[in-house]
Amino acid sequence: MPAAPTVEAMMLGKLDWSAIPFDQPIPLIAGGVVLAGILAVLIWVVVKGHLPYLWHEWITSVDHKRIGVMYILLASMMLLRGGSDAIMMRIQQAIAYQSQGYLPPEHYNQIFSAHGTIMIFFVAMPFVIGLMNLIVPLQLGVRDVAFPTLNSVGFWLTATGALLVNLSLVIGEFARTGWLAFPPLSELSYSPGVGVDYYAWSLQISGVGTLVAGINLVTTVLKLRTKGMNYLRMPMFCWTTLASNLLIVAAFPILTATLAMLLLDRYLGFHFFTNEAGGNVMMFMNLIWAWGHPEVYILVLPAFGIFSEVVSTFSGKALFGYRSMVLATMAICVISFMVWLHHFFTMGAGPDVNAIFGIASMIIAVPTGVKIYNWLFTMYGGRIRFATPMLWAVGFMVTFIIGGLTGVLVAVPPADFMLHNSMFLVAHFHNVIIGGVLFGAFAGFEYWFPKAFGFRLDERWGKLAFWFTFSGFYITFVPLYVAGMLGMTRRMQHYDVAEWRPWMIVAAIGMAVLSIGVICQIMQLVVSIRNREALRDRTGDPWDGRSLEWATSSPPPVFNFAFHPDVRGEDAYWDMKIAAQQQSLEHEEPEYHDIEMPRNSPTGFVCAFFATIMGFALIWHIWWLVILGSLGAFATFVVFAWRDHDEYVIPAAEVAAIDRVNLEERRNLVSMAGAI
Amino acid sequence: MSDQTHMHVEHDIAPGDEEQHSVGERIIGYVVGLGLALLLTATSFFIAGTDLVWQPSIPVALIVLAIAQMGVHLVFFLHITTGPDNTNNVLALAFGLLVVFLVVGGTVWIMSHLNQNMPPMDQFIRMHS
Amino acid sequence: MSMTATVGRAHADPHHIGVVVEHPGPAPKRTVTAYGFWVFLLSDIVMFSCFFAAYAVLVSQTADGPKGSEIFEQRNVAIETVCLLLSSFTCGMASIAADVRNRFWFYLGMTVTCVLGLIFLAIEFREFADLVSRGYGPSRSAFLSAFFSLVGCHGLHVSAGVLWLLTMMAQVFAKGFRADVLRRMMCFALFWHALDIIWVGVFSVVYLLGSGV
Repeated sequence: MPAAPTVEAMMLGKLDWSAIPFDQPIPLIAGGVVLAGILAVLIWVVVKGHLPYLWHEWITSVDHKRIGVMYILLASMMLLRGGSDAIMMRIQQAIAYQSQGYLPPEHYNQIFSAHGTIMIFFVAMPFVIGLMNLIVPLQLGVRDVAFPTLNSVGFWLTATGALLVNLSLVIGEFARTGWLAFPPLSELSYSPGVGVDYYAWSLQISGVGTLVAGINLVTTVLKLRTKGMNYLRMPMFCWTTLASNLLIVAAFPILTATLAMLLLDRYLGFHFFTNEAGGNVMMFMNLIWAWGHPEVYILVLPAFGIFSEVVSTFSGKALFGYRSMVLATMAICVISFMVWLHHFFTMGAGPDVNAIFGIASMIIAVPTGVKIYNWLFTMYGGRIRFATPMLWAVGFMVTFIIGGLTGVLVAVPPADFMLHNSMFLVAHFHNVIIGGVLFGAFAGFEYWFPKAFGFRLDERWGKLAFWFTFSGFYITFVPLYVAGMLGMTRRMQHYDVAEWRPWMIVAAIGMAVLSIGVICQIMQLVVSIRNREALRDRTGDPWDGRSLEWATSSPPPVFNFAFHPDVRGEDAYWDMKIAAQQQSLEHEEPEYHDIEMPRNSPTGFVCAFFATIMGFALIWHIWWLVILGSLGAFATFVVFAWRDHDEYVIPAAEVAAIDRVNLEERRNLVSMAGAI
Repeated sequence: MSDQTHMHVEHDIAPGDEEQHSVGERIIGYVVGLGLALLLTATSFFIAGTDLVWQPSIPVALIVLAIAQMGVHLVFFLHITTGPDNTNNVLALAFGLLVVFLVVGGTVWIMSHLNQNMPPMDQFIRMHS
Repeated sequence: MSMTATVGRAHADPHHIGVVVEHPGPAPKRTVTAYGFWVFLLSDIVMFSCFFAAYAVLVSQTADGPKGSEIFEQRNVAIETVCLLLSSFTCGMASIAADVRNRFWFYLGMTVTCVLGLIFLAIEFREFADLVSRGYGPSRSAFLSAFFSLVGCHGLHVSAGVLWLLTMMAQVFAKGFRADVLRRMMCFALFWHALDIIWVGVFSVVYLLGSGV
């Protein structure tokens, strides 16, 4: 008979002073530093009087460009967090030969779980979603996304998830189960702490945000295109955005359902994945990978789109095989839902099941190969400029082919039986995720930075960053392939095999080189901001681009385009430039009209505030606070639904004034090009 | 490419919207839908409880009836048609259904295989005792 | 795909195969909103499909507890089904009333929909409470876990729908049939009809097929 709950237990649930890890210096110091940093920034913002600006122009903004920038900022911060986890792991494995190293097992396990969770959900996802948010409406020639306020809600919910994961550093603990929290280890009987709850609730909350972003972008691409922007005239990045977001919409509900089942097991004693009462552990693997495999294509498809834009721009040619590229993208979109079993070949399905999924996994390499050839043929005969974005693109092609080939290797079930859960696998997926997604994100960052902020990034530091990251990547991960071949399994806190040791040391050195790459990237940002006047992009078209985002000024006005552009073919902006050079430059001034834009709204921020409270309360079993949080979130939506004016008008005169400046710069550009 | 005919088309209508109909016609649509749905439901419940039909056919019949009724709902309540103004709506639906089919079908197939090759612990013990 | 049809040929080309169709530009707001919601509904259905799949996998894992045929009551399920079907119909009537801006029929249609939804929820709640009191709660066996979460998830959706319905009535009362209110009403109707479609799956798979296991 349990004792009646005390008042404290009712008020605070499982939360008490033992949740703060006073006995573990590393998380405490790390948490303290982060907290001090946040406090310092907050104080600086308040003292300098930037708070009203931040609130009105950024936090409550429903402008897709601002939200995109905030997504990318979140991803960059989390990249530093996930990167420091990676550094700690590499150091641990370099020194933990026949010794315990410096990280105790329970801490090491939290680090690799947090590293995976953060890198996928709070670095890769927000980075690509941010770039899509920023660029897709511009490329489609429209003024905003389909659901601007929901867009803001989606971003802030993602930020809530990131906040909760980082909160686990100082209050309680994070999961020790790996980034997918496989049961039965993640069940209550084996993980009684709050770690798995932190993991599951932060993913549930940020998952809602991702779903909202997905619905928003699918609707934007399908329903909001400018006049004449037929499907087969959309830039490649819009196609990959469509495919990726279709996958988000179809796959993320699977993650939500699976984590809901795990949470029901943990909170209410259900038996989905338990060992007792007929629960089935394998069903978790099955369901989570039915989400997990589409997820990797959710991440890499937008990167493919970015490379398509970059390769075509910096080769000075239209994309080779545009239609085959579209077909390959949509083929990947569908086939990615038919291969998930290759993540658990070894778990006892029969040979026929393994064979079919193995073949499907090899087939999906075909459309990817089509893409690689298309990029190569785009470069062939082109006038190639090796600016930083192009370097990332070429580096990607080399790296991704290696990662793809090791992928085809592990798609063969008998080979997978040897390599499953080995360091070879770790090397493989870092090979495709760093070489594909992260290189893509960096290429997009360098390529579209001038569009977002109005000045270019410093090329010298950019190239240094590329070369350090590129070589650092190989020095880190090629040794991991070798260690995998030598039989080393993943997630080892220490080991006794002498042959692995040298490779672990090389990998740690590689990690140091990679870190120099990251530092160069930060330096690039600092140097560029300092020299921003010299790097200013006045024309809005710094790279001699081909698609519509380059047809407006940098940074674009809040309404993006004074007129919806009328599109007549692929490479819409390139055609306009050619036409403008051939015709006389003296256009008569068009007649400007008032433009209606959505009003800013704190809905997203307030909603995320209540979601944070709710998530925290659920993790610590503080039930009254859960009820309060959910009531608050509902009330926020009702208040939002009640408002009478959701749009404001930008008068025609103001539109004209902004547009004239841009037109003037553009005429200068065209006449200069004509003179040459 | 100057010899192409350029044609402007109208947008797809919103999912759930009907093409122009009078109120009377719309109400009749719902009445017909309700009638068909009730009929199919009644048939399902009747088949499940009766021993008048060949027993092994019952599960198949129930699934067919359920799919038919979902179709009735889609056509008469959600107004999904095959018309040219519904392309996007139908394509999205088709993609969703494909994923549902893959997830449910794949899960049942994979899990039955896993159960066969690696039965849950209690069955395993029963088999070997 | 060759697109070289001439103007002359286009007339003999009923399917417009040789014609370049020019995209007309951004769609009207009503279409955009409803389409976005349509995409959300599809994602919701994918989520349900996971619970259906889990039910199909776990239906025979009764851990020596009760089987479906021992706990399901066909009569209750039939009443629930009729309630939801009728509520779908009345919801349709309410959306027609909203389109022609008839307040009386709108309120009537929505009220009846709400009452039918509440009857459904009451029956479901009684069923659950009864099972739990007999010791057949969701933690009794994997089968019951899957049953409670699938049916309960649908029930939660209906509860959210009732909350939304009441908010919609309040909105029409306070704001009238404004364009944004009508757009939301349209999404609500889509939601309610979709719940009915899912219920068709639930009663067929869980209650009727599940009784045979």
